[in-house]
Amino acid sequence: MTSTSFENYFHVIRDIIGAMHSLTDLQDVLDVVVAKLTQGLKAKGALLRILNKETNRFEVRAAAGLGERYLNKGPVTTETILSTLPEPGEIYIITDIWNAPRVEYPQQTWDEGIRMLLDIPLAVEEQQITGLLRIYLTEQRELSKDEHDFLKTIAKQCACVIERVDLIQKQQSHFNHLATQVEKGSSLARMAAGIAHEINNPLAGILLYSSNMHKKVPKGSHLEEGLKIIIKETRRCKTIIQGLLDFAREQEPHRLPVNINNVINSAVGIVENEFHLRHVKIQKELAHDMAEALLDKHQIEQVLINLLLNALHAVDSRGLVTLRSAVDRDRRKVLAEIADNGCGIPKEHLEKIFEPFFSTKANGTGLGLAVSYGIVKNHNGDIRVWSEPARGTRFMIEFPLATDASVPKERK
Amino acid sequence: MKSLKVLVIENEDVICNACRLVLAEKGHEVDISNTGKSGLIAVSRNGYDLVLLDIKLPDMDGMDILKILKENVPTLRVIVMTGYATLSNAVQAMKLGATEYLPKPFTDDELVAAVEKACEGL
Repeated sequence: MTSTSFENYFHVIRDIIGAMHSLTDLQDVLDVVVAKLTQGLKAKGALLRILNKETNRFEVRAAAGLGERYLNKGPVTTETILSTLPEPGEIYIITDIWNAPRVEYPQQTWDEGIRMLLDIPLAVEEQQITGLLRIYLTEQRELSKDEHDFLKTIAKQCACVIERVDLIQKQQSHFNHLATQVEKGSSLARMAAGIAHEINNPLAGILLYSSNMHKKVPKGSHLEEGLKIIIKETRRCKTIIQGLLDFAREQEPHRLPVNINNVINSAVGIVENEFHLRHVKIQKELAHDMAEALLDKHQIEQVLINLLLNALHAVDSRGLVTLRSAVDRDRRKVLAEIADNGCGIPKEHLEKIFEPFFSTKANGTGLGLAVSYGIVKNHNGDIRVWSEPARGTRFMIEFPLATDASVPKERK
Repeated sequence: MKSLKVLVIENEDVICNACRLVLAEKGHEVDISNTGKSGLIAVSRNGYDLVLLDIKLPDMDGMDILKILKENVPTLRVIVMTGYATLSNAVQAMKLGATEYLPKPFTDDELVAAVEKACEGL
C-alpha cells in the first residue's frame, strides 16, 4: 500500500469508527459505512444487508452508488446469502460475474458496469452471520493484504455495532415493558386501597345487620337459611378484597440467608394433612448440598403452599406431587420445583395464569399465582411453568445464591 | 358487664345505626358523631367509656383524632375501625393507644367481643 492509499484508508476507518461511536441510530452508521467504503476503495458502490431475525431474510439496509433498478430486488433468502460463503472473517471475491452462483442478476450487474464483487460476511467472533457487505468494483484487480485487513476490520466493527444496537433495542423494549408493569402496579395499589375502603363500608352494614337478624329469626326457617347465606357471601367478599390488597400492596420482603429446603419442609408440613385426606402423595427429592438464598421465608412459604395447593387441585385422588430442589452452580441459582401428574393447563391459559383475577376454579379469587409471581420477582427471582394437558404441570422457582444477592435497604 | 357509654365516630349512618342497634341490645348507651370534630366535642362534653372510631373520616385523619382523644382522656378506651386493614396501620393505631382494632366488615358478635375485650375491668 502506498502512503497516499494508506492515508486514504486510514481516513475511511477514522470516519466510520467516528460515526459508530457518535451515532446511536444504526441507519446513520450503515449509510456512512457504505458511502465511505465506496469512496475509499474507489468502487462503483456498496450494499449492506442485515439479517432480519424475525423473517430470517437478509434485507438491504444501506446502499451507495447503485441504480434504483438494482436496489429494488428486495430481500434475499438466507440460503442464497449463506451458500458458498467462506468462514466469517474471510472475503469472497467474485470475478466471473456471468457464472458465479452468488450473482443473482448477472445481466443487470454487467449493465451497471460492474466487473468484480467482494462479499464480506458480518459476524461477531465466529458466531452467526448477521449481515453481508457487498462491494461493487468496475475493474478486476488484485486485493493487497492491507486492503484485506482493512475490509475485515470494517466488517468486524460493523458486526459489533449491529449487535450492540440490537442489544440496546432489546433492553429498551424490556425496560419499557418493566416501566409499564411498575406503572400498572402502583395504580393497581391505589385502586385496591380505594376499593377496599368503598366496598368494606357497605359490607360492614350488611354483615352487622344480617348477623344481628340471624339471631332473631326462628331456627331452621327459610329466613335463617337466607341470612346464613348473606353472612357467608359477605365474608367471601371480604376475603376477595383482602386478597386484592395483599396482591396490590408492595410488600418489601424481609430477606435473610435461608436454606430453601427448610422452607419447602415447613410448607409441606402445613398442607400435608390436606394431601393425606385426598390420598395424594408428596414426594421430596431435595438437594443435599443446598446453598443459601436470601429469602423472606414467610413469603416464600406462601408461594410454595400456593403451588402445592394448586397441584393438589390438579391431580385426582392418588395423584403424585413431586418437590425437587437443586443448586445450579453455573448460573449461581437456587432452584425449587413442584411437579404434579394432574390435569395440566391448557395452552391458551398458560399465558394468563399469572394475571390477577384469572381463575378456572369456581371459588378461586384468581390472585394466588399473581401474588406468588409478585413475591418471587421481589426476591429478584423467577418463576416458570411447563404444562401438558392430561400429563401434568411443573412450576419452577429460582433465586440468586445468597452470596450474589444484594440485600435491599430496609424500608423506613 | 356494666352498661357503657359509647360514642361511634363514623360518617356512614348505616354502620352507626347498626352498631347502636347491636350495642343497645347489650344494654349500652350509644351516641353518634358523623365527623371528627363533632366527635371530639362530644367526648369533651359528655365523657364516654368507649369510642368506636372510624379511621377514615371526611374532615380529619382518624389517627390524629385518636392522638387527641388519648392526650385529653388517657383512660378512654378506643376501638379503631377501618375498611382498609393493613398491618402497619394496625400497629400505628396500637402505638397511639388504641385498645382494639376492628377491620370492616365485622359481625355483631365480633363487635360485641371487641367491646368486651376493650372494656375489661370497667
